[in-house]
Amino acid sequence: MQRVSIPARNNWQKAVEKLGFGFHTSSVPYWDESVYYSFSMAEIECIEKATAELWDLCLGAVQHVIDNNLYHQFHIPTTFIPLIEKSWNDDDPAIYGRFDLCYKNGELKLLEFNADTPTSLYEAGIVQWFWLQDFDKSKDQFNSIHEKLIAYWQYLIKYLHKDTLHFTCLRDTLEDLTNIEYLRDCAMQAGLETKLIYIDDIGWDESQKKFVDLENNPISNIFKLYPWEWLVKDAFGKNILEDVNDTFWIEPAWKMILSNKAILPVLWKLYPECPYLLPAYFEKDKLDSYVEKPILSREGANIKVVENEINLLETSGDYGDEGFIYQQLFKLPSFNNNYPVIGSWIIGQQPSGIGIRESANLITDNLSRFIPHLISE
Amino acid sequence: MKKSKQIELILLTALLSSYQTQQRDWEGSTNKTYIRSDSTAPYSRTHYYGGYYVFRPYGTYNNNRYNRVGYYSSAIHENSNIGTSAAKSGIVRGGFGESGFSVSS
Repeated sequence: MQRVSIPARNNWQKAVEKLGFGFHTSSVPYWDESVYYSFSMAEIECIEKATAELWDLCLGAVQHVIDNNLYHQFHIPTTFIPLIEKSWNDDDPAIYGRFDLCYKNGELKLLEFNADTPTSLYEAGIVQWFWLQDFDKSKDQFNSIHEKLIAYWQYLIKYLHKDTLHFTCLRDTLEDLTNIEYLRDCAMQAGLETKLIYIDDIGWDESQKKFVDLENNPISNIFKLYPWEWLVKDAFGKNILEDVNDTFWIEPAWKMILSNKAILPVLWKLYPECPYLLPAYFEKDKLDSYVEKPILSREGANIKVVENEINLLETSGDYGDEGFIYQQLFKLPSFNNNYPVIGSWIIGQQPSGIGIRESANLITDNLSRFIPHLISE
Repeated sequence: MKKSKQIELILLTALLSSYQTQQRDWEGSTNKTYIRSDSTAPYSRTHYYGGYYVFRPYGTYNNNRYNRVGYYSSAIHENSNIGTSAAKSGIVRGGFGESGFSVSS
């Protein structure tokens, strides 16, 4: 794995905006094509193999949590347990997830799994692919995200109610809108009838006990870019349990288990021999060097990095009410004080590609940059 | 090869243009906003946070807390029935989306 500096494309902003990528720069650059990461095919195959194996282990861990009634470790409301178990027993399919991995000195380690609402899908599937077409189309990239998304939406048709598939996200965030419109784009290319509705426009028909869209049509199938842990706390959360329409939710309710960092100590307890896992515990006193992470949090908020019992780094935020886990410290590699995390995508249960996010310190936060990659041989 | 052979997009290339246009339209719009003449949904003040809204929300204040009641928009379908009046169909909105502002992760 190497970090290579290059000149950015002339007027690159226009080039990415033509793709619909409007959030390439905020107060700081986000999309950064002045550099790329280069991987050998052997390294890519290692990432691919690890991703497939980690997915299998995660499914085993979900079964273990259900069989042993470990929901309290995840702070999952008890009222939602039947929904989780029904979605699992019915084999409700999952579209995607993103494993965040650290690759250093030939070792690959799982940092966490974004299993419910992973973002940067558009950057990984589309923007970096088109960058490579301009930079050197003869080169390869670990990126079949687009093809796999369309194929899996086609596969999912038989699971859906024979009705429109709604797509929902928060309003006023171009990043969320772009991610969900990309998924909807792929669903349309797969032949599905789709409709976009902002999440606060979703209606509840109290007399008929069903969710409705803006035309008051029932919502039978819905893809949400909004996490389960927020849905269950919202005013309409309880209505999900009363819904007579049996709305088909994607991602399914069982993803509540995997999208929670409590899964990390569960994985470690089940599979301590797995070379891709780091020791992780619910208790603070098992490790001298560790990263303290809220079981529910995003973008590197409320993280504490401790080495030999000394605080190295800490971030602020609003998370942590549900508790923390402690994962052995495995520092990100430094490329001239740039610290990359490999986001490895699993689409339709298959490893499908990677996206690299890089930050200026050991914690990948909301100021991190997206860096394209290629395969060098 | 481990990369997609070809990529085509239907929606996204128009997305940014549409998002930016709608933001500009909102800022200087001469479009008529439409409120159902029989609306019984009360509102005291509208809220505009400077960002783009598909629909302009309206709501009420209780104890300095804003409660969104519904929406009005020149684009809303005439048959849409938004609001909290018991005389209407019993559909309420705004019960999701309270817990965050972006899912970026």
